[in-house]
Amino acid sequence: MSQSLLIVTRQAPWSGPGAREALDIALAGGAFDLPLGLLFLDDGVFQLAPGQQPASLTLKDLQANLQALPMFGVEALYVSARSLNERGLSDGALQLPVEVLDDVGLSALFERYDQVITL
Amino acid sequence: MKFAIALFSPPHAPSSRRALRFAEAVLAGGHEIVRLFLYQDAVQHASAALVLPQDETDGARQWQTFISDNQLDAVVCIAAALRRGVLNDEEAARHDKPATVQSRAWTLSGLGQLHEANQLADRLICFGGP
Amino acid sequence: MSTLHVLSHSPFSDSRLSSCLRLLTPGDGLLLCGDAVYALQGGTAQRAALELMPETIALLALAEDLHARGLVQLPERLQLLDYPGFVASSIAFDKVNTWL
Repeated sequence: MSQSLLIVTRQAPWSGPGAREALDIALAGGAFDLPLGLLFLDDGVFQLAPGQQPASLTLKDLQANLQALPMFGVEALYVSARSLNERGLSDGALQLPVEVLDDVGLSALFERYDQVITL
Repeated sequence: MKFAIALFSPPHAPSSRRALRFAEAVLAGGHEIVRLFLYQDAVQHASAALVLPQDETDGARQWQTFISDNQLDAVVCIAAALRRGVLNDEEAARHDKPATVQSRAWTLSGLGQLHEANQLADRLICFGGP
Repeated sequence: MSTLHVLSHSPFSDSRLSSCLRLLTPGDGLLLCGDAVYALQGGTAQRAALELMPETIALLALAEDLHARGLVQLPERLQLLDYPGFVASSIAFDKVNTWL
């Protein structure tokens, strides 16, 4: 039986390679067909914000990597309702189909996975 | 008990020292380290180009000694390494740049090695940040 | 599945501690190391929050980080760990979640 892994991404998309490198862990795991979940928490929810324009900073678009998640078999995508609310984001306008979880839901999510990486 | 240890911080971060002390205690306790995986700024541990003042602790060297002494499997994420100027001979030749990884203690490979380590281990322990 | 949460950022300049506190469930543990041990500083909201955690949550700290920072008057429930203790705790809980 494969060990399941929850990856928690907490970095905003424009604060350095952190967000991209978290996503890369998820994509690599998906390529190996491993049971994976990805949770957007704290500033990580800004990765899902609508209307981002990476060209403005002449940066590579993170959206392509995000959109690739389901194609790589990473379909268990979650976001913290509290993190969205605190940052004025509405769950209706996000870039990816994600399951919105309240605090109790988040605790239950952590319970479910064998291992966690939070970065 | 089998441990996979993932390191995310550079050699000068307190968490690098903490990870080394933890790894030493794992082996001293009779447990096994299936792999050490270096990601993000932790790839700098593999660089031979680090120069520290004589009165400062050389964390990267301590790690390298620990890995060699215990013949650990130490994998440096290749994508994170290239991005940070950490290249072994093969990558240096491929990209026409100077090599900065000299010790054979380190293997440059992909993120799949982190997932494999996680599958082989009973515990995945990450160290990073301050 | 119990989780040992490990923090090393100062709780005075960072939101990891507050995010982590909301996730804890009975049987979990919170290990403070590095600057995260400043959460134990007396008379602060962070210390008060730690004291308010249910007894079913274990509160641990890495002894060397605590001593280095000269923190005193610690909560009675606090368990101090050396590195063998850190390893033992990482085995005692089902998984370890480090807030990198």
